[in-house]
Amino acid sequence: MKKTALFIIFAAFIWTGCEKPSPGVSDSEIVIGNIQDLSGPMKELGMVVPHGSNLYFNYINENGGVHGRKIKMLIEDHQYNPQKSVAAAKKLIDQSQVFCLYNVIGTSPVEAIRPILDEYQIPLIAPATQSGSMSDRTRKAWKMIFHTDTGYDKQARILVEYALGENPDAKIGVIYQDDDYGENVLKGIGEAEKKHGIEIQREGFQRGATDFSGQVMNLLKGGCTHVIIGGVVKEPIIVMKTAAAMNFAPQFLGISPTMDHRVAIAAGPAGEGFIAANFAQLWNSDVEGAVLYRELFAKSGSPEQLMGMYNFYGFITAMVMVEGLERAGKNLTRKNLIRGMENIKNWNGMGVFPSISYGPRDRAGSESVVLVQAKEGKQKLISEWMD
Amino acid sequence: MNELFPGLAQEIVSGVALGCIYALIALGFTLIFKATEVVNFAQGELMMVGAYVNFFFITIFLDSLGFGNWPSFILALIASIGFSVLFGVFLDFAINKPLKDEPVFSMIMATISVAIILRAVVALIAGPITLVPPSPFGNSVIRLGSVAISTLDLFIILSAVILVSIFYIIFNKTRWGLAMQATAEDPMAAGLMGIPVKKVYRNVWIFATIVATIGGVLLAPRTLLDTNMGFLGLKAFPAAVLGGFGSIPGAIVGGVILGVVETISMGTLSFHFHWIKEINDVIVWIVLILVLMIRPVGILGKEEVERV
Repeated sequence: MKKTALFIIFAAFIWTGCEKPSPGVSDSEIVIGNIQDLSGPMKELGMVVPHGSNLYFNYINENGGVHGRKIKMLIEDHQYNPQKSVAAAKKLIDQSQVFCLYNVIGTSPVEAIRPILDEYQIPLIAPATQSGSMSDRTRKAWKMIFHTDTGYDKQARILVEYALGENPDAKIGVIYQDDDYGENVLKGIGEAEKKHGIEIQREGFQRGATDFSGQVMNLLKGGCTHVIIGGVVKEPIIVMKTAAAMNFAPQFLGISPTMDHRVAIAAGPAGEGFIAANFAQLWNSDVEGAVLYRELFAKSGSPEQLMGMYNFYGFITAMVMVEGLERAGKNLTRKNLIRGMENIKNWNGMGVFPSISYGPRDRAGSESVVLVQAKEGKQKLISEWMD
Repeated sequence: MNELFPGLAQEIVSGVALGCIYALIALGFTLIFKATEVVNFAQGELMMVGAYVNFFFITIFLDSLGFGNWPSFILALIASIGFSVLFGVFLDFAINKPLKDEPVFSMIMATISVAIILRAVVALIAGPITLVPPSPFGNSVIRLGSVAISTLDLFIILSAVILVSIFYIIFNKTRWGLAMQATAEDPMAAGLMGIPVKKVYRNVWIFATIVATIGGVLLAPRTLLDTNMGFLGLKAFPAAVLGGFGSIPGAIVGGVILGVVETISMGTLSFHFHWIKEINDVIVWIVLILVLMIRPVGILGKEEVERV
């Protein structure tokens, strides 16, 4: 009897010893790693997005943290360069001993660190890209990545269906960036073509292009009634101005990166009526999460110019991160974080997201979009969640 | 054919406007090269700095002092040109003076370093967010039949033609131009003949900075303002080579050819031959190599015959 008791105590000792705490977790702190572009072509976002994340993490920390632990976010720079992204991930994992990765920005940089995620079995929560490839279960380390945003492919398909809903005989064109982003948009376009038995005109441009006369001319010649723009901020502005100059006025629709309030302002009358898709509610909307964001932003005394969609994006992805940590429980390990994330069901982050669910074989978070239209230089929500 | 023509005409007009943007940057390359035989790889960044400085002035005049659209634009332009003069003097002092007797490579490396530093410094001061500069040209468009051109583009074309003409006259018809040519040929002999070589260098840097600033001011409303604007310099460089490096009219000829080729290949050619889309980004370089195979010095470049 005594022997059995001893054995049980010994076994229990070994068992608890096996589940050794993951790196980056102490009784009072959780250290997470973020990789952003601080000095490369997308550095515009590198400053704004993590600022929004910290706004939410600080709020959680001030209210006692997650299970008594405060969240600390370390940021590395990858200059939007996949190779540097690998070095940055290794540095965060080996030297800084982070618990998990969070919000790493860019499709190619995330694709490049898949082998590292696999090797260390370290989760990456809410990568900052809308590429549908993030939740693709045929790729390496798919189990480690929890994607939040609606994929570009799904967005493109929803926009095509919106156009067909407006006009069943719509002639649709797409103007896309010639890289990973555009490739994912075209994947959705291809699926929509097959599903609806239509043909969509494709016009590409190089990243960084400043002139789109040729492409716009072609869309005009093709007789397009609806044009989907897969660009960021500059491209929709220049494309719509160019079209207006040519007296060409199709309904322009944009993939989520074009959902920037500056598009409506800078395009002027040419941008009137522009519709952009988004995978979350607007930062200036009335949903609970957005109200909290504006409150915390005002309290933080941060410079006004940071406020807006990208800053809010950092904020809402931080909500996903915190939700996962909460559900992982007090005994925080990487495996428990994955379990915690998989337990997220029908969660909408204070009304910001459509209903988000993950599961053992589901890594796609939001799968719907809302449509936002530019009217007199302002953005107005014009739809419910669409999927 | 009837359908083809209006499209093609529009693409050519748009291409000419794009080409004139390249020409404004290429002109800066040419000016410095002509007098110092150095390629200034920071030319695109000088344009970016000029555009930011102009944005700074224009917001002061427009928002703080409440001037109208046009007066603000003109005052800001004058103030920015004033800044370019000082900046040109500074660049001459910082790069040209210490390095002018060193191998050309040191100087070229120095200009590349300046480009990188300028990008970083501007991002530090102005912040990384793309800015939307106010423009007095608004969105007005002029239409000739089926061909449309924005007032801004028309201004860009006019400015390129005027600036190229002014510098062509300065270089070829004035004593100053002769002095610059002599300096480029042989600085020591020029100095011995009484040409103030240091002054010539300084003026060339000032001219190049002014041209860059004017380019930046006109370009910013078209492409919006961010620190990557300077990368257009990389497209203007082949334009300068195509036109004939060191030839002032060559800058505009090379710029316009590349601009038109780019727009037509993206437009009509891609529309009719889908495979062209796949090679769009190399078509400019193919044209460049073809021209250089036939005329190695570029279209308007002068062949140099060295006699021993």
